[in-house]
Amino acid sequence: MVNKINKKAQGMKSKISPASPFRKKAQMKNKNIFQLLHKKSGQMKIQQMSFMLLGVFLFFALVGMIILTVKFSDLKQSATDLKEQNALLLVTKLANSPEFSCGEVFGTQKTDCIDWDKVMILKENINKYSGFWGVSNIEIRRVYPENKEIECRTNADCASDICVRGECTVECTQLNYPKCNLITLIDKPSLGYSKSNFVALCRKEKYNEEIVNKCEMAKLIVRYEEVQ
Amino acid sequence: MIKNKKGALEFSFAWIFAIIAGMFILFSAIYGVSKFINIEKSSQDAQTAMDIGILTNPLESSFETAKRTMISAPVETRIYTSCNNNGFFGKQTIRTSQKTYDKWSNEGVNVSFSNKYIFSGNPAEGKKFYLFSKSLELPFKIADLIYLTSAEDKYCFKDAPKNIEEEIEDLIGENPSANENFFTEDCPSESINVCFNSRGNECNIKVFTGNSKYVEKDGEEMHYEGDALMYAAIFSNKKDYECQLERLMKRTAQLTDIYADKSKFILEKTGCNSGLDVDLILLKNTAENLGGSGNLNTISDFSEQLSRENKYGECRLW
Repeated sequence: MVNKINKKAQGMKSKISPASPFRKKAQMKNKNIFQLLHKKSGQMKIQQMSFMLLGVFLFFALVGMIILTVKFSDLKQSATDLKEQNALLLVTKLANSPEFSCGEVFGTQKTDCIDWDKVMILKENINKYSGFWGVSNIEIRRVYPENKEIECRTNADCASDICVRGECTVECTQLNYPKCNLITLIDKPSLGYSKSNFVALCRKEKYNEEIVNKCEMAKLIVRYEEVQ
Repeated sequence: MIKNKKGALEFSFAWIFAIIAGMFILFSAIYGVSKFINIEKSSQDAQTAMDIGILTNPLESSFETAKRTMISAPVETRIYTSCNNNGFFGKQTIRTSQKTYDKWSNEGVNVSFSNKYIFSGNPAEGKKFYLFSKSLELPFKIADLIYLTSAEDKYCFKDAPKNIEEEIEDLIGENPSANENFFTEDCPSESINVCFNSRGNECNIKVFTGNSKYVEKDGEEMHYEGDALMYAAIFSNKKDYECQLERLMKRTAQLTDIYADKSKFILEKTGCNSGLDVDLILLKNTAENLGGSGNLNTISDFSEQLSRENKYGECRLW
């Protein structure tokens, strides 16, 4: 039966001549299928390649970004270190700058001596000096001798609500001077670290109708901003 | 044959796509890396400039006289200094450029300081630099002037007055280093000759210390009063010198205000009278309207008078 069918088919095939339109149509159909398959595989290759290239590009971009982040955080650290170094060197010499120094007002020349009278005037004119020393905070805190008039045990005992080592923190103004212990010259609200140095804080005072020089011990504190 | 050609076309398209995309990635990477190197160089230059500024902090003196320190850079460095007079005090700016692979990098970013007065050649070039400072007093201390010289620039001070010669010998020290750049005798042949009160042809810088005090450099005159400004004129150029002088006068005016207010404050508080109020106002006006180094003698005369009054007054202000 099968042989019979095959023979019939062969007979039909042999009946179609090579130049017949049926044969051409079949050939064309085969060719289109072949081209389509080939085209699809080419597109696949391009897609694969483009995904691969995109992956490579993104990988290098990511690596680059990580390197940049690490490098810039290093840079921020270097900038903070430089500020720290500046504050450290500045605090040791700031007392000798003309706006602070005692000069020969209290006898002979003195190092690390701050003229309190002059600093009180500087405080009034400090807006002109903003950014002059390149630090975010400069303050002078008198540490010795203790002022009995502003003694305290807890923060509640002080009008300023700040009790430091048994003494209320009292900001100096021209009205309460010299019955105060803190002179804030520059105070930029910012995060940072401080460096300090001990200095002599001298002033002219009237004592028994005589003008005398009075020197006390103070701490000069310089604060620098941390680079964010 | 036709089939082969079509295959070749498809193959080349894939390659063209890969090449274009590859080139894009490669050029982006090269661009990124070159930008990164530039940023790195700029940050290095800025860091060096900031370091120089910070290292001048210890030169802020109290009553000691000139002292010298050396700073070293890891590679050949050019230090550019400039000044501007904006604001209450003006600004000192420092830029550096470093030599890498025999090529100078672009001048880095400006690092500014309001409280520094640096006098130097522009640019100062080398690996080692000397810094020393001197206090300017008119009549009270105005600032510490900082002088920056490259160890490669040899200065020969000829016929200097006794006090200047002694000061330079102090700066040199007992055992001069191999990088020494100041000489008072046995000067190297390539030295910059600084001649005092002489107009010889071999003199690169002429300093006149008579009634009219001035320094002649590159055919230009810079007038000075006091040793601090004399050194400033020697190591600087006319443009920078005049600019820094204007900044110094601005600070003089601000300090005069502080002393005038302090005088009133002490008088109210203790009854101690300095008697300098009027003179301080005059000094402030003179400083504010100086109009160049040519008029420095007016402020100098005035400062001497003020100094005497302060010294022998009832209440010293400085």
